[in-house]
Amino acid sequence: MRRLFADKLVFATAAIVILMSVLFALLRVAG
Amino acid sequence: MQLRYAAHGAVWLILYLVFILAPLLALLAGSLPPTRDFWTEFSVAIGYAGLAMMGLQFGLTARFRYVTEPWGEDVIYHFHRQISLIAVSLVVAHPLILFVIRPELLALLNSIEAPWRARFAAVSTYSLIALVVMALWRAKWNIRYETWHLWHIVLAVVAIAAGLAHMVGWSFYLADPWKRALWIGLMIFWIGLLLHVRIVKPLFMLRRPYRVAEVRRERGDSWTLAMQPDGHPGFRFSPGQFGWLTVWGSPFKITGHPFSLSSSAEVTDGSVEMTIRNLGDFTSAIGDVPVGKRVYLDGPYGAFTIDRNPADMHVLIAGGIGVTPMMSMIRTLADRGDKRLVILLYGSKDWESITFREELEALKARLNLTIVHVLANSPAGWTGEKGFITAEMFKRHLPPPYADHEYFICGPDVMMDAIEKALGQLNVPLSKYHSERYSFV
Repeated sequence: MRRLFADKLVFATAAIVILMSVLFALLRVAG
Repeated sequence: MQLRYAAHGAVWLILYLVFILAPLLALLAGSLPPTRDFWTEFSVAIGYAGLAMMGLQFGLTARFRYVTEPWGEDVIYHFHRQISLIAVSLVVAHPLILFVIRPELLALLNSIEAPWRARFAAVSTYSLIALVVMALWRAKWNIRYETWHLWHIVLAVVAIAAGLAHMVGWSFYLADPWKRALWIGLMIFWIGLLLHVRIVKPLFMLRRPYRVAEVRRERGDSWTLAMQPDGHPGFRFSPGQFGWLTVWGSPFKITGHPFSLSSSAEVTDGSVEMTIRNLGDFTSAIGDVPVGKRVYLDGPYGAFTIDRNPADMHVLIAGGIGVTPMMSMIRTLADRGDKRLVILLYGSKDWESITFREELEALKARLNLTIVHVLANSPAGWTGEKGFITAEMFKRHLPPPYADHEYFICGPDVMMDAIEKALGQLNVPLSKYHSERYSFV
């Protein structure tokens, strides 16, 4: 169960990193 | 106390994200190169973020007690493994996206004619893939732990150094000297984390050796190593914690393995004991360790302890050699004169292989201790529990309400998965059970 919690952290980290990468790209494209 | 650890955990999680995202977002500051399309910029961003995540992997396994104590070492290692799959996916997706939107870049796969910056990218990507493949299939391919560990480190360092060389060589976002310095500084920091666990910690251990005072045979093909600090006071630990033990060779060699401390935490002369089962690998030589031998111990580590989780009664659930941290807890409670109820559900192969069987019986006189032996192979006439520990056994031996107790579980992964499921069926909240997976490395 603690590993399940760790899996959720992994998922949340991945989601945040991808969203921030999208933001990075959008900011660049928007100039 | 739990709130304090939760707050610590949240702070470390935020710092982890800052170390990944701040260097990426810093690329948007100062002078900027010409804008490109969305997918090119997105692929570059995930490449940078993926590399930062790979670099921070060194920090997760650097044995910083303050970092690991909110979660426990097994959870940190689990996170290390799972997040590496995400990081490698991001790094691999970076060139794949570029190849899809600009097929002419496929020519860069020709390593003979490609520029160095593209060659570095290939070296980094191939190293990361090799690193993950070796980690996933190490057990299946029967690769020795020490051999694998050495390759794991070499491939990780090559991947990160080549990745950075690719970024600097391309010089698109790192044209600014301060941005280049930031990312080179980051790499030095990541390698520093590796040096911390491979050079600094071993140096510390070298100055604080232990001597084997006794090698004691136990039931269940196991041996107890009793160790005395040699020229230093040793360390204090909480019952249930573990240490990294190096028996053969210097602490600089990759031969340290994690073992639970099985002795009482109330012993004040610094001496500690570890009980190790012969699993057919290096553990088969533990019984041959000569008394007086110098060994090295790095500890204590782990969040698996009764001291962090005060309760009216404790339920200890052990499978096989998973009894060692429980033994430390029981011995400690006995030494403290603690009269709270302790129930030990102890799964073993058979009656003869029950490690600590006689001592546990004797400890009943000093504690309010109930022991429920569960035998996979029971002898004729056995009236106790048989098979494996189940939710029904909890109902037979534990006083309700089940959600009020603190549960400590240690044993093989299969057993722990089954018990966690059984506790879930009894509506025991997640905060009430604590586990240590000794298969975490």
